[in-house]
Amino acid sequence: MKIDHSLPLEYSTQENQMKILGFWIFLGAEIMLFATLFASYFVLAPRTGSGPAGSSIFELTPVLAETILLLTSSFTIGLAIHAMRLGRTKPMLVFFGITLILGLAFLGVEIYEFNHYIHVGAALQTSAFTSILLTTLGTHGAHVTFGLVWGLFIMIQIKKNGLTPQTANKSFIFSLYWHFLDVVWIFIFSFIYLKGMM
Amino acid sequence: MKELFPIKQVMGFIFSLVLTAVALAVYFFDMSFTAGMTILLVTAFIQAGLQLVMFMHAGESEDKAHIYTNVYYGIFIAIVTILGTLLTMVWGYV
Amino acid sequence: MEFFERFAIPHPSPAIYASMVAIGLTVIAIIAGLTYFKKWGYLWREWLTTVDHKRIGIMYLISALLMLFRGGADAIMMRAQLSMPENKLLDAQHYNEIFTTHGVVMIMFMAMPFIMALMNFVVPLQIGARDVAFPRLNALSFWLFFMGAMLFNISFVIGGSPDAGWTSYFPLAGTEFSESVGTNYYMIALQIAGIGTLATGINFMTTILKMRAPGMTLMKMPMFTWSAFITNIIIVFAFPVLTVALAMGTLDRLFASNFFTTNNGGMDMLWANLFWVWGHPEVYILVLPAFGIYSEIISTFARRNLYGYKSMVASMVIISLLSFLVWVHHFFTMGQGAFVNSIFSITTMAIAVPTGVKIFNWLFTLWKGKIVITTPMLYSLLFIPLFTIGGVTGVMLGMSAADYQYHNTMFLVAHFHLVIIPGVVFAMLAGLTYYWPKMFGFMLNERLGKLSAWIISISTLVAFIPMFFSGLDGQARRMYTYSEQAGFTMWNMISFVGAAGLAIGFALIVYNIYYSIRYAPRDIGSDPWDARSLEWATHSPVPEYNFAIVPNVDSTEAFWDAKKKGHKLFKGELEKIHMPNNSPIPFIMSSIFFVWGFSFVFAMWIPLIIATIGIFGCMAYQSFEKDHGRYISVEEIKETEEKLGGPTV
Repeated sequence: MKIDHSLPLEYSTQENQMKILGFWIFLGAEIMLFATLFASYFVLAPRTGSGPAGSSIFELTPVLAETILLLTSSFTIGLAIHAMRLGRTKPMLVFFGITLILGLAFLGVEIYEFNHYIHVGAALQTSAFTSILLTTLGTHGAHVTFGLVWGLFIMIQIKKNGLTPQTANKSFIFSLYWHFLDVVWIFIFSFIYLKGMM
Repeated sequence: MKELFPIKQVMGFIFSLVLTAVALAVYFFDMSFTAGMTILLVTAFIQAGLQLVMFMHAGESEDKAHIYTNVYYGIFIAIVTILGTLLTMVWGYV
Repeated sequence: MEFFERFAIPHPSPAIYASMVAIGLTVIAIIAGLTYFKKWGYLWREWLTTVDHKRIGIMYLISALLMLFRGGADAIMMRAQLSMPENKLLDAQHYNEIFTTHGVVMIMFMAMPFIMALMNFVVPLQIGARDVAFPRLNALSFWLFFMGAMLFNISFVIGGSPDAGWTSYFPLAGTEFSESVGTNYYMIALQIAGIGTLATGINFMTTILKMRAPGMTLMKMPMFTWSAFITNIIIVFAFPVLTVALAMGTLDRLFASNFFTTNNGGMDMLWANLFWVWGHPEVYILVLPAFGIYSEIISTFARRNLYGYKSMVASMVIISLLSFLVWVHHFFTMGQGAFVNSIFSITTMAIAVPTGVKIFNWLFTLWKGKIVITTPMLYSLLFIPLFTIGGVTGVMLGMSAADYQYHNTMFLVAHFHLVIIPGVVFAMLAGLTYYWPKMFGFMLNERLGKLSAWIISISTLVAFIPMFFSGLDGQARRMYTYSEQAGFTMWNMISFVGAAGLAIGFALIVYNIYYSIRYAPRDIGSDPWDARSLEWATHSPVPEYNFAIVPNVDSTEAFWDAKKKGHKLFKGELEKIHMPNNSPIPFIMSSIFFVWGFSFVFAMWIPLIIATIGIFGCMAYQSFEKDHGRYISVEEIKETEEKLGGPTV
């Protein structure tokens, strides 16, 4: 395998470059996945049947907490990649770890939130609105959950093998994934919560 | 320690918090639907662009053109799908 | 015993019991055969674990041909049932199941793998690459497709087939009207196959963007590669829509959510909307690679370079965008009002323009060409008039006001069959014949091939032209019988004759394959058609590393220029070649996906959870595995090249 030392580790082989480009293309597909969910959400949001409407079940505090947690975690994974490019394995792992902890906290708040919805009578089965609400949030939450496990595996590999072209590449791709989830959350925050509470 | 916190990323983070605060205006102030949606659309898309360029390093490699084309294509199709669905199922439905 | 009752067929018939026995016997025969001839190891090493794009292509091809006969059997049964009024061959329920499985199998499990087969086999060779960008992902794509197809196919012997049409419109597809597990099979089998297809899309986009031979700029790529590239873009952006729609349908059916129901605010029309947001691009996913194949074949056998290369590329790019802008024309009658319908009518008309550009480019390529009529060329020439019939009737359907007359009649059925059969099936048969020597090292018999091309073309017209008339007379699609007074008898009888003709045509292709395996000469060289692009610059059959030396390209028809103008394709010395290792993970993971899907269909949650853990376990294993591939040494390459007959250019 040819390693080009003039490039950052994560780009240093042909295979690595292809993986990064391939992941960007995958993110293009993810844009469409969430766009479809948003399209369905906008159509179904007013169709609450006999269930509650968004304005009566959304609470600002947990939503704001989730937003800040995720925004911060997006910042720290950015710092982790920066540290990686400086070749500083230890701070990188620290930032990486903080990211995952913030992600876990986000997930905790989201579980609380779901619990709250079901408590106030907004379950998956209640109405078209609650079905699409919980599915959209759940899809994002499932992505975060997957990311937590994936990130943990990458941390273990860095711990074991150090920063190699492979582990650097995986970390960089993970950071793309994590930033993307943050972008999706911004849209959820704006067009589901804030629009719903407007 | 200082080199671990590049100014660009710190500023990006602060800016994204500011944008979130601006978006919150639609919650705290009474405004028309149009005004509210405008604020949300502007803040959300700036935030997304911020992540894309500043944190995701979309423009740094030799595949820059492919990556941007791919993302713009995705956003175009996404908007077409969302607006087209709304047009068909809600606005245009008689 | 109670546990097993859920697997029973809700609506059995002697034919289904006979199929059960037949399937059982076939499985036993295959297992016994593999054991007797001691082929298990060979099968495992060379095929089940392979990551070679050529072998994966061949496996796609075999699956597509098998599914062609499954779907074809459905078609024959439908036409036989309708050939006479008040026919008792099938009852309403069986007819529903059969038209549903016919549609799904033909689109998702025949046409899709067929284009995947050709893309897999041809694209890396055309761009001078050694494999695709992510060989393991490619194997995973195939096995996910395969397991999805198998899951869908076992539905008719375990639990019952889906019966809500290939479009599976709600509320008919909801639990209220479709109680059996059939529609669960539809939702989950398509989901599994769809994930595989999405992965292929990403894989091929990356391959084409990053792995082209030195000198091959985007505007020097062969036309089939261009068409494959555009197709994969559409796949990447269209398939997630299907993923979401199927997930929502699954939630509705198994978890009583209210997306597409008729109460609690549910909106059944949203399914139709999402289905066609995916469904219309899907049409172009099928037809663009077919256009690519025609472009290759027409320029090869007109002995001319393709007319209007740039306009061909531009029209495909425009099609790829427009294909996402027309979906509403599939449901003009749903009530979205004249304004919306007008918009989508106009976009629909617009898409005929780039398609027309392509047709004219082919005609101009033929003009003043030295046309050689071979079997692939015959299909390509027959395609043009037949496809035009399908195309212009499509424009008729695209006019929203007129569509109220045609909608859901046999007129529509005739239209889309006359688009898909010449547009896709002919191209695939042409591509099969054209690339057969590259795949297997011998040619299919030309006389038998041409005969089947004529039989299939004429039968297509005989089978589908009558449907235009019976459709205009008011015969609705999907009705399982009609009375004599309705006056559809003659048209349907003619259609049945055409369907029988198609069956004969396809049987002849199978006979041709058998005949050619036995009698075709093997010493045909590497370029039997005197072709123009890089795939013909290597040996037939192709060695696993594709090209001993990576070719250097400086025109759109690199190999032709190498042959005629003396350009040197292979510069430099032999070097050791890096190749990926085989891996059992794609096959194992997909098999677990099969179990996952089956458990999901029957809502068996414990096996479902275990299978889910298994899937994630495979991914974790993959993540931790260190496999940097292997090298083929220079001596080994020399030996292989010698055995295959030395350098080709």
